Amino acid sequence: MGLLSDPEYGSVKWVRILKKVHRPLCFLCYAVALVWFVMLANRDFNNETYFSENALLPGLVTNEFNGEYAAKQYLTEFEQELEEKYYDTEKIPVPWLVAKMSQLHLEVYTHNYTLNYPLGQGQIYKGTNVYGILRAARTPSLEALVVSAPFRPLSSHQKSTAAGIALMLAFAEFARPQKYWAKDIIFLVTEHEQLGMQAWLEAYHGLQSDSETFYTTLGSFWKPGSFGLDLTNFFPGFDWLGSHKKCLNPGQLKARSGAIQAAINLEFHSPKIKYVEVKVEGLNGQLPNLDLVNLVHKLCVKSGIHHSYKNSYSWVRNRNKVDDWVNNIWTMVGMVSTQLAGVPNGNHGLFHRFGIEAVTLEGRDSSDGPAPRVHSLSAANFHRLGLALETVLRSLNNLLEAFHQSYFFYMLPATDRFVSIGQYMPSLCLMCAAMLLRALALWVGVQPTQERSSQAEDPVDTEAKEPGERPPERLSESSNQRVHNRKTIKEKHSDSESEIPGEQDVKEVVQSSDERVANSQTQLNFSMVNVGANYLLVHVLGYAAMNSPVLFTQLGAKYFSLPSEVSVYYGLCVTSAVLVVAAPVLPRLLRRGALTYEELTLVNILVLIELSTLCLALGMHNFPLGLAVAALYTPVALLSGVVVRGRGWISVWLQRAACVVLQPLGALTAAMCVYSVAVYGGAEGAAAAAGRGRDAAMQAVMFAVADSLIYGNWVFNVAASVLLPVWVVLWQIVCNSVEGPSPARR
Amino acid sequence: MFNSKNFLFFIAVFIETIFNANGDLFNEELFIKPLPPAHLYTYFQFTTLVNDNLSSEHTYLAPRSLVEVLTRFQVDELHFTLTEGQWRHNHWGYPVLDAAPGAELYAWFSSDVENVDTQWKKLSSTLAGLFCASLNFIEDFNTITPQMALQPTGAIPQNPNITSQLRYASLPREIVCTENLTPWKKLLPCESSRGLSALLNSRMIHNTNYHSIGVHTRKVCSSSDCSVVSLEIKQTVALVYDSKIIRTTDWSFTKLFGQGLPGGCPLASSSKVYVDITTNDTQPFLLSPEPEKVLLSQRGGSETKLALYTIKPENKMTTIGAKYISKKDLVLMKLPPLYFNRYVLGYGKEFGGIVTELTNTFWSSIDVVVLQNAPWWLPIQLSSLRINGEASSEMVLARHYSPGRSRQKPYHLELLLRLPPKSTTKITIDFEFVFLKWQEYPPDANHGFYVGSAIITANLPTARNYTSLPGTASLFESSINASKPWYPAVFRTNGVMVSLPTPDFSMPYNVICLACTVVALAFGPLHNICTKELVLKVVGSSVTLKQKIINLFKKKKE
Repeated sequence: MGLLSDPEYGSVKWVRILKKVHRPLCFLCYAVALVWFVMLANRDFNNETYFSENALLPGLVTNEFNGEYAAKQYLTEFEQELEEKYYDTEKIPVPWLVAKMSQLHLEVYTHNYTLNYPLGQGQIYKGTNVYGILRAARTPSLEALVVSAPFRPLSSHQKSTAAGIALMLAFAEFARPQKYWAKDIIFLVTEHEQLGMQAWLEAYHGLQSDSETFYTTLGSFWKPGSFGLDLTNFFPGFDWLGSHKKCLNPGQLKARSGAIQAAINLEFHSPKIKYVEVKVEGLNGQLPNLDLVNLVHKLCVKSGIHHSYKNSYSWVRNRNKVDDWVNNIWTMVGMVSTQLAGVPNGNHGLFHRFGIEAVTLEGRDSSDGPAPRVHSLSAANFHRLGLALETVLRSLNNLLEAFHQSYFFYMLPATDRFVSIGQYMPSLCLMCAAMLLRALALWVGVQPTQERSSQAEDPVDTEAKEPGERPPERLSESSNQRVHNRKTIKEKHSDSESEIPGEQDVKEVVQSSDERVANSQTQLNFSMVNVGANYLLVHVLGYAAMNSPVLFTQLGAKYFSLPSEVSVYYGLCVTSAVLVVAAPVLPRLLRRGALTYEELTLVNILVLIELSTLCLALGMHNFPLGLAVAALYTPVALLSGVVVRGRGWISVWLQRAACVVLQPLGALTAAMCVYSVAVYGGAEGAAAAAGRGRDAAMQAVMFAVADSLIYGNWVFNVAASVLLPVWVVLWQIVCNSVEGPSPARR
Repeated sequence: MFNSKNFLFFIAVFIETIFNANGDLFNEELFIKPLPPAHLYTYFQFTTLVNDNLSSEHTYLAPRSLVEVLTRFQVDELHFTLTEGQWRHNHWGYPVLDAAPGAELYAWFSSDVENVDTQWKKLSSTLAGLFCASLNFIEDFNTITPQMALQPTGAIPQNPNITSQLRYASLPREIVCTENLTPWKKLLPCESSRGLSALLNSRMIHNTNYHSIGVHTRKVCSSSDCSVVSLEIKQTVALVYDSKIIRTTDWSFTKLFGQGLPGGCPLASSSKVYVDITTNDTQPFLLSPEPEKVLLSQRGGSETKLALYTIKPENKMTTIGAKYISKKDLVLMKLPPLYFNRYVLGYGKEFGGIVTELTNTFWSSIDVVVLQNAPWWLPIQLSSLRINGEASSEMVLARHYSPGRSRQKPYHLELLLRLPPKSTTKITIDFEFVFLKWQEYPPDANHGFYVGSAIITANLPTARNYTSLPGTASLFESSINASKPWYPAVFRTNGVMVSLPTPDFSMPYNVICLACTVVALAFGPLHNICTKELVLKVVGSSVTLKQKIINLFKKKKE
């Protein structure tokens, strides 16, 4: 910091260069970041997958699976059972499953769970999972593998998973008499898709809703204490968050096995599938260990099953390098779009949070997706699927240690290629670097520069003159202190939850600005308190927005009797509209004098730093989300600057337009509308399609809120409590025009 | 000329007479119990009673190596088991003797022993050599002194400080294999050549679902006033076969053990095979050959039918087997009066908890002692103890807790609980994860760390599913019609595994690779300098520029 605290640095060479070139440099960084990301899809820039874990010994065993006939029989019986007894209900056929599993001499148990839907009028959903444990011989049940299949009723709009359940049972029948298992195998059929899986996993790990007093529940997803304010006192009519209970009551498991090492989720609607899609993306964009993904792909090849990942198909191998590249880019974009929302795309995604590696194998045929040359593929059958499952599980059975060798953070441009975290992070870092560069440039821009006029005329002369004018020790001392003070303030303010800075800080600020006034001999209207209060208030508003959906639901239901999704969406819309209108006025309300250029620049610097920190932090956990936020908001953050009165209204309005488009909720709705118009526009007319888009946005918001409450998906929380305030601050900056910098600075 | 077989038999009878005169008694028993729906329990028990005055110099039928150890370290009572697998109490009922997965050793030392800890260390090391087990890993940091859970079963003089002479340790990670069975068989008088022990074919034993070998020695009264005590050495093998794995529900000696029974041990006073045929009513099967006798045992309200076979030393090769008549797959199981389950709470590497669930299915309350011991690297704090989610519970009648010390002493908690009738009690205790020094991690550190079983001692009010022998008895036949007001039992829950925060051990590996590369790089030039001869070269006249250019081209061509 010696460099930054040196008041002479305004005239140092790099500072002058930075001031001149920072804009093109920032945009160059941004462009390079995008190019970098695109280049990662090229074969020359990514790596071929390999096994890190030696213990897996993939495909070394002789396959013995012989349950094809049994699987067919199970499938017919299961479908018959569903059609005869469950055609008008969505219930899971518990007795049938229990009977079949007990006949195989598995330990069979059922598991009941309850969901108190947090966003409704006290709706309660109940569900039942069925699981059978194959106890491995001569082991004390310390480790386990899970084979699971979601149950889907006949009325479900999703593809049935009957073949998956049949295959699972046939595999259990085959596996039960084997003596080589070193880990228990749990065969699990879950109801209500991800809800059932989440409940089962929570129950398995003992996250009960009634043991809140423990600190073991620190690891649980949602705690009643986290709401901070008890608003029940103010609004006695409302039932706040279902009388302080976790919404998902996972119930109790009657029996367990040991630590789960890996899980395979099966979604097969028919044995005659054409190819298997390996789904990996989990909750909050978490991924399973690359070794497991790799294992599944490699063993699919060995068992003679076609497999795919997004746009990369095992049976399509492009000779043309460019085609290959484009294909890989689309695969990566597909991965980004799936991980972005943080919603798992299969039941496997919920395991990751518990440190369990899991993938979903989804059977597909020509009706799903635009895979080329599907019709010419030979269809799979139960025998080959069973072989694949057997080899995968026997390979996992060999595992001595939990998966830890290979990558947990990666991107897949093809089924057999990967990009590691070290390779993809630079693209995100470059975008954040662009924002930090801009922040630095703004910072050096507002620094008081001595003898600006003379320097402009003859910089060499100034440099020679200045040391003579001032005793250097005193100067660096005081400016050091100033920077230190400012730093503490900055830390205080960038933290949204922190209390208002204490009086002492304020004094220091005043003192430091006094010094500056004395030093630069210019008049400055610079009040940290005013700026900071605004900054803090915006973040508090964001935090309130994060917690608002439950209130909106209650309000909407009580006064307008609207469904929850409508009230949440319009509630958030109204909040956004109010923020758009009111936010620009906020900084003026919170102060006495007029806003100054310096203050707004400081806010701009803070918001740039906050945005880049947010993107990096997001990128560390969920790279696609971080990348998308950075890619969308970096240009606006770079473009928008403090508006000086009476200069170029076109650029100002452009800035404002760019900024308002990126309002998080608005951007979501706009994106959904555009997508709908693009997809359905021709058939239904643009207006109807846009309406569809709005409905989609409504659904998306609702799902994000519900996921955050039930599963612990933090996309909505981050968007509401950090991204929204950042946007509001940016909006405030572009909407407030101020007098230009004081003459000394010009 | 003697027929060699007759000769052997003669010798055997002769020896037997001599030994009987000396008072050592050896009995071998086999107990077979089908555990519907799919399992079969076989329990071997070889009991040697040393009536003679004990001396380490000379023994008759008792194994000298073991007796020597016992006398040398002044052990009053010793229990040692090596187990692979987990006994499933809620499905299989109760075994005759329960054992913790892995290795388990506990012993009472004579009250004359002053420094119990050193004796204990010596004893475990000696036994490690005797049984080829890693008992030498028993140290202070995994040894506890149970206060309530374990009581001596033998005749030990009344001593209020009896627990101070007791040491208990278990090694849950121990893997049990043939190398443990062979030395164990060597302790038997007939080894594995004759008698029931000939059935213990290691290839077949390790094909089971659960197997446990054990050695239990204690002092028993030989006179009515207990003024004279004698040593009893009991060697046991418990096996549970899975009919799905052996691929048939019908069983016979050849299917289970790979061969028939060649006849009893000539040195044994009796060789008996008991088959529990109580389940014959629900799942009928035919025994072949027909049993000698069917004994009806009424014990604590439950009725057991036992088919008895007496095996004579001169018997021909016999194979006892059962053939099921009708194959009913689903059998309604009767739950035992008390069963339990233990599991780990939470996920992640910060906090966790261990839950022990005890279910009392009986209509009256049952008193149990629960002993939990946690290694020093898994600190459990008494303050986080909850019973059914409450910090203080009326169920707790007594409590003993001794906190552990890092690298010195394990955490040890004992609770005396009164389980209400028809209820499930959940004992939860939280733990923290600690960082180990990098050398303290076991190989395959990411495999997880084993936490031993909890011990549950109960006085069962009913003998449902109960097969153990009465406390004072040595032989299986004494359990017939042995009704008592209550039935003492010591059970082990399943163990659990936790994964501690583990460093990336590929780092040291990388360092080694790097260091080796550096050494290799340095070695080349050094070797070069040391071995190559330096030869002076005559410097010729200076080269012109033209010559230089030509030389350059020449080099490139090469």
